[in-house]
Amino acid sequence: MDDFLNFIFFRKLRAKWLMKKWLRCMESEFAEEFLETLLKLMRLVFLVNYRDFRRNIEGFNGRYLFKSRDRSITVSAVFRDNRMEVSERLIDNPHITIEFRNGRVLLNYLISPRPDILGSMLRQDVTPRGNLNYLYKFAYMAKRLQLMATGSV
Amino acid sequence: MASNVLKDIRLREYSLDNLELIRRLRESQIKIRPEVCIERARHLTHYMKNMSTDEEPAEIRYAKAVNYFLSSKEPLFFDDNLLAGTTTSKAFGAPVYPEYTGMTIWPELDTISDRKKNPLKLSPEEADELNFEIYPYWMERNILEYTRKKYNNPECMGLFEKFVFFIAGKAGTISHTIPGYTVALDRGLEFIIEEAASRERHIRDSGDITDEKRRKIEFYRAVQIALQGIIAYARNLSRKAAELAGETDDPFRKQNFLTMSEICAKVPAKPATTFREAVNSLWIIQVGIHAESINMAMSPGRLDQVLYKYYKRGIDNGTLTHKEAIEIMSCLWLKLNDNTNLVPETAEELWGGAGTVPAVTVGGVDENGEDAVNELTYIILRVTELLKLRDPSMNARYHYDKNTREYRDRVAEVIVNTRAVPAFHNDVVDIATLENQGVKTEHARDYGIIGCVEMGVPGRSYDASSSIIFNLVSALELALYNGRRPVVGDEQIGPVTGDPDDFRSFEEFWEAFKKQAAWLMGKAVELNEYFGLVHQEIYPTPLLSAFFEGPMEEGKDLIFGGAMYNASGATHIGFADTVDSLNAIEKAVFMDGKCTFGELIRALKADFRGYEKLHAYLVNRTPKYGTEDPVAVKNSQNLIRFLYDFYQGHTNYRGGKYRPAYWTTTNHAGQGKLSGALPNGRKAHEVFASGITPVSQAARDLAACLRTVGGLDGLCIPMGEALNLKYPSVSGEEDLGRFAAAVEAYFRSGGLHVQFNIMSYETLLDARDNPDKYPELLVRVSGYSAYFNALNDAMKEEIITRTEYDIETGRANPFPAAHKSMLPYE
Repeated sequence: MDDFLNFIFFRKLRAKWLMKKWLRCMESEFAEEFLETLLKLMRLVFLVNYRDFRRNIEGFNGRYLFKSRDRSITVSAVFRDNRMEVSERLIDNPHITIEFRNGRVLLNYLISPRPDILGSMLRQDVTPRGNLNYLYKFAYMAKRLQLMATGSV
Repeated sequence: MASNVLKDIRLREYSLDNLELIRRLRESQIKIRPEVCIERARHLTHYMKNMSTDEEPAEIRYAKAVNYFLSSKEPLFFDDNLLAGTTTSKAFGAPVYPEYTGMTIWPELDTISDRKKNPLKLSPEEADELNFEIYPYWMERNILEYTRKKYNNPECMGLFEKFVFFIAGKAGTISHTIPGYTVALDRGLEFIIEEAASRERHIRDSGDITDEKRRKIEFYRAVQIALQGIIAYARNLSRKAAELAGETDDPFRKQNFLTMSEICAKVPAKPATTFREAVNSLWIIQVGIHAESINMAMSPGRLDQVLYKYYKRGIDNGTLTHKEAIEIMSCLWLKLNDNTNLVPETAEELWGGAGTVPAVTVGGVDENGEDAVNELTYIILRVTELLKLRDPSMNARYHYDKNTREYRDRVAEVIVNTRAVPAFHNDVVDIATLENQGVKTEHARDYGIIGCVEMGVPGRSYDASSSIIFNLVSALELALYNGRRPVVGDEQIGPVTGDPDDFRSFEEFWEAFKKQAAWLMGKAVELNEYFGLVHQEIYPTPLLSAFFEGPMEEGKDLIFGGAMYNASGATHIGFADTVDSLNAIEKAVFMDGKCTFGELIRALKADFRGYEKLHAYLVNRTPKYGTEDPVAVKNSQNLIRFLYDFYQGHTNYRGGKYRPAYWTTTNHAGQGKLSGALPNGRKAHEVFASGITPVSQAARDLAACLRTVGGLDGLCIPMGEALNLKYPSVSGEEDLGRFAAAVEAYFRSGGLHVQFNIMSYETLLDARDNPDKYPELLVRVSGYSAYFNALNDAMKEEIITRTEYDIETGRANPFPAAHKSMLPYE
């Protein structure tokens, strides 16, 4: 039991550390690590079920593929069995593929206080292909994480 | 025949000073902040998820879902309004329709209450319910995603989702029509239910149930089920009102609750007898319709005709006074403002500020072609004048051969006093235009306005008037860039039509433009057809169908073409900018040889930086739509004709023709912000002109402007047009006479519609800079009204820069020098 609690305690600390890192990342000039940190954080917060966050993926099956325009980043996020798996490889049949120019535009697209979604799509900074409802759900979860990180919720 | 015995058509003895109830209701309504309402989404989702299956016939399933919602809908009374029934569970609510675009606010559930533009209150508990319970069910089931999957994410959907080519309205709504209320008011919903039951029995008794007969049986069953939902809601209202009457000691409230309880126990199930019963019956039906169809441009229609017999009976038998009629109609106006549409923040930034645009139409002629103006027309005009509300979208028909001058002048006076409403519509051309679409003369004469400016026949035509919102400038740019559009990158979008620098004549460019436009419009039509077929498959409209002629007789839902008349509307953004760009190309490149086509395109790509001389020439020396320059007249008329021929060559999934229109809501501002520089000298990311209105400051002489816009062939504009004009002020009888005479002259030259903002550049600039000074400033946008403060910055800019004409001289007033940078070509 102690080991388990330590495990949980450690994860929660790590989640808080990641939240801080993520906030710094959002405030930084380049935000290239935004996606990687976001996905790591999200996975961890699901795992420790911080503030009942796991409820967001209970019974949810979703396959997301994130690709940078220059192909330097390919990350998939798969939600199933109430868990989130992240890997740096292509997946088959994603519900939605989000291709982006760089971390900053993706950040702006997903969680900026004043998101310029149309502008991002017009400039082809971000190009979603697939079911947009999956994107809306993901954007909600990302936004919720941001608000949790800043103590707003 | 005209029927008016009012001593004073202005009804000046009634004002908010002596209509205490109305003043109080209005004051409180104006102050209420809108809230997201999840009530419908909650009940609909619960029914669909837990009480039905995908195997059930769509007509029956959706009717049962609507019935379930209406039967469960909470009977609420937020204030002392004389009418029972609320669109939502909030005093001012934005209902969530998850099967349409209700999921677009998902990313902002935690922030929508505090967002900068038009925030909508949403409690954390209700946000959680949307996030965990409601939205997950609809992930694959809303119209957009169901269509994407069924048709394998077609190219036309990709074009739509770039937003800058066309908007496909059916992803978010069909609505946009005028139900017929007369049968429901005169005979009651029970009569319609019994008719459906009788027809169902007749088919069942005929034996040998074929697939077609089965579909009819399902439709008739669905009508009964859906309408019973409205009756259940009315009975719940009645019960609750009786309860509340027992709980209050306030004599006015007690009596009001008791009266509403009696009324709702009777209507809309049974025929209305009194004026108040008729108005409340109509309102409850409107609430019921919104249980099925989204709250956008579901228009009450010609209320001065529909309600007149109840009004007249009450006045004649002494049970109704003019004051009471004003109060009851005022209560309906306030009720029509009890809901707003749900818009995500990004869309607010680009296209926000609209209400739900239920259009009311008054005046004009009756089915026999005689003057239809009556006392109720003037009552409604007075209510409009007193309340100055965003909704309903008010429209006055005017037949210059049949309506009286005093009616015309009274409408003009109400516009001046409200500074914005109603809009004027030309009966002569509107009726001829509908006849040209195959509408019987007596039906065409009964037309009403849908939403912004579109003409429909109440209870007879299913018009889907907002099916396509097409950006003409996108087709122009595709022609300029050989099938590419720089704003979306270097991708080949349209067909290869050639490098314009190789064109040897303007006609070659015109052909390239037409080819690009036809290709793109074809994609818009293709997507509209897909959406229409999906609506047929999963979200039919049995409840709405009950209020039209045709579906009951045919046993066929509106969405399958059951209405007497069918159409799909395609409206166009950037008409004036496109025409002026065509003019500029013809003149600069091919007539004057001022530049080569290549130089012109390089100037556009540079947003005219380094091409200042050419820019000045394009702005000042090329022909402008709205003047009588023959090149401008020719190009505007050719474009109107080309678009008309294209759309009329396409038949929709319901068997009706596509009909072009020229109203733009706020899209001209939003789309302008997303577009590059144009040959007419408009710079990149500046707003387009609205509706069919000339570019700001381009038409300096009002008379010439009215002649040229009126000179466009109205028969080629069957879904309506919006001409926006601005006077700084209209004061005194002489000014009013000039104002009304200009409208009449425009109508006699062939114009379909005109609307006004009576406010100066300075007033609007001050309102922009000091919003708190103008909390209720009502403006006409491009077919509907909005509160100026609720509009986005681009739309404010467009309204400010619209040409302002001096009422006395008809000349354009100079735009304030200090603000010239706001003009689209500066």
